[in-house]
Amino acid sequence: MRARVFVAAMLAAALGVVAATASASSGRAQANKLTVWLQVDAQNGWPDIVAAATQQFQQQNPGWTVDVQYQQWTDHLQKFDATIAGSDTPDVIEMGNTEMTKYMAAGAFSDLTGSKSKFENSGTWLAGLAKSGMYGGKVYGVPYYAGSRVITYRTDLFKKAGVTKPPTSLAQFQADLVKVGAQQKGVKGFSPLYVGGEDWYTALSFVFDYGGSIATTHAGKWVGTLNSPQSVAGLTAFKNFFDATQSKATATLDGSAPFPYTVFSQGLTAANYGPAWYTCCTGAKYKASTAQFVMPSHTPGKAMPGFLGGSDLAVPAQSNSKAQAIQWLADFTSTANERALEVKGNIPNATNLLGDSVNERAAARSWFIPQAKHWVDVENGNILKTMLSQILTGQLSVKQAATVASQNIAQTLNES
Amino acid sequence: MATAAETTPKWSRRRALTWRRVGRGAVPYGLIFPVVAALGAILAYPIYSLVRLSFQKYGLFELINHHGVGVGLHNFGSVLHDSVFWHTLVRTIVFTVANVGLTMLIGTSLALLLVRVSAWVRILVTAGLVLVWSMPQVVAVQVWIWLTNSQNGVVNYVLTQLHLGDYIEHNWYVTPFSQLAMVTTLIVWGALPFVAITIYAALSQVPAELIEAAEIDGARSWNVFRDVTMPVIRPVLLILTSLSILWDFGVFTQPYLLIGQGHIVPSNYLMGIYLFEQGYVKTDFGRGAAISILMLAIIAVMSVFYVRKMVRLGDVQ
Repeated sequence: MRARVFVAAMLAAALGVVAATASASSGRAQANKLTVWLQVDAQNGWPDIVAAATQQFQQQNPGWTVDVQYQQWTDHLQKFDATIAGSDTPDVIEMGNTEMTKYMAAGAFSDLTGSKSKFENSGTWLAGLAKSGMYGGKVYGVPYYAGSRVITYRTDLFKKAGVTKPPTSLAQFQADLVKVGAQQKGVKGFSPLYVGGEDWYTALSFVFDYGGSIATTHAGKWVGTLNSPQSVAGLTAFKNFFDATQSKATATLDGSAPFPYTVFSQGLTAANYGPAWYTCCTGAKYKASTAQFVMPSHTPGKAMPGFLGGSDLAVPAQSNSKAQAIQWLADFTSTANERALEVKGNIPNATNLLGDSVNERAAARSWFIPQAKHWVDVENGNILKTMLSQILTGQLSVKQAATVASQNIAQTLNES
Repeated sequence: MATAAETTPKWSRRRALTWRRVGRGAVPYGLIFPVVAALGAILAYPIYSLVRLSFQKYGLFELINHHGVGVGLHNFGSVLHDSVFWHTLVRTIVFTVANVGLTMLIGTSLALLLVRVSAWVRILVTAGLVLVWSMPQVVAVQVWIWLTNSQNGVVNYVLTQLHLGDYIEHNWYVTPFSQLAMVTTLIVWGALPFVAITIYAALSQVPAELIEAAEIDGARSWNVFRDVTMPVIRPVLLILTSLSILWDFGVFTQPYLLIGQGHIVPSNYLMGIYLFEQGYVKTDFGRGAAISILMLAIIAVMSVFYVRKMVRLGDVQ
């Protein structure tokens, strides 16, 4: 009997040691360190701006180090959730503007309303972007940058096909692209305009151009509207455009595999529809012949509404260095840095910084996703991608696929 | 005949025996202690946590506050009323049967082949199998993606060059069936080495004189295999089959990476992915815990048959 008690005591002691070491190791490693999570876009596009902000921050806070960790869009939320569980969150995190609502609603971020005046140009923040960082009248996200979508194209190939002026309507653009395609017939795997079929940012621009929408609220509930006559007209126009301008295998590819600009740099397309910074990566060979214009609407003379993408920066509620985090944020989104971001092809975060670039002109007409707590689940559930591959591969008619997607979207958004 | 023990006074005999008994009794405890401690640390507490979690509402809000709200059996109820769960379960069972069946069939064939070929070929084949075995899953997935890439994959190129049809820009991942079929090729390929080498080892235990005797008696090769070889290697086949079922039913890495996050939808869910989507992506950890407990129960039920067979085999031998 005594032996059994002894064994039990040993066991308890061993478990205690394990538990103690486990909890000790999850503590913060370094006191004077600010951990910042930015997306890979910054790493690829503007590491110099990040470095400049950090340098400025370190001058104001001697002895502090800034650990910038770059994240992928596909899994950064799951990684963030894991750090929340372990109470070891970063001090600053970049969030896509479509991802904010769920986290603000759950209380994941610090209220920055009182510090708003510390951020330069906060009085003139872009309305759409500022709204994505607000919940219940409080500020949780600092606008970082926005981006609209434009056509990046090969001037030499367009000229060869006899197209010398940017098109002013969708129909004209489509006809131009068909001409370019005919000219390049001999090139295997060539698409006059390359876009992944499941790139829903592109497809929904057609939907909004035809007066359609994704979902609206009715009597406190979300109702899917992708199967409305206007939306179906937009999706049908997208299918026609896609069929006329694509090589056959791209119907089930999304916007990231391969990246459209990679196809461009390989000489396999004459145009991309995407963020203005695509010029970064169209290849040295085509640098001189790369230009941009605003995607035309089906209504002649107008621009097609583009998705107003963008990012906010937030301070997680569990951060132990909130004051420093806010300081770094203020440095990172300073007027000088926002102007530098604009030079790289982004839309700066405030109206007083806006210029007259093609990107900023395209932003004049834009659309945004429904601001619902569960929208991020619609994105991660690949509901829109599924609909598009069904439409483009002919598995379902436009109306059928849109109806299924509409129901799925409403169900997801209305989850408690 | 009187023994020495019987002549010693009663009290001293009892005391000596008690101490010896304690000493002897403690040895097994001491021996088993490291295992119990390790299992307790790495299994017992997580399982306790998991069970507790499955009875709680534990979403993003609760995660931030490190505190769940008890909801009784609600998570289990909502999972069992979810049609996606039942479709996924049926799909996963079909998937598991196909994968385990193919693995065992091809694995056994390979092992039988290894017995018959010359030593040099055997060494070459075994080396090939070991190389497959040593390839990490994530790397294997990447290689598969390269091979079957619709734009510039080797598979499309070779099939077209061999005039087996026009496979230029053919996409191997269009329908849920084709996606899971590609996952099956990857999983079976990866599972073959272990199965083939283990069965080959078992085959070497079949006494040659038994086979010779059967052949002299005029038995055909199929009959020799069924009546002489099979009974000897059956325990190994059972272990391999039940292990394969456990692995393939809960598989996650290969389907998630090969199909790709951007194409994971309810119509191609397997149980492991359904669990991940519900628990992690939708940040509903309580529901995720309930799903994993249900998976555990399903696997336990599926294993019962094999465990019983194994026990019976053990009794006979």
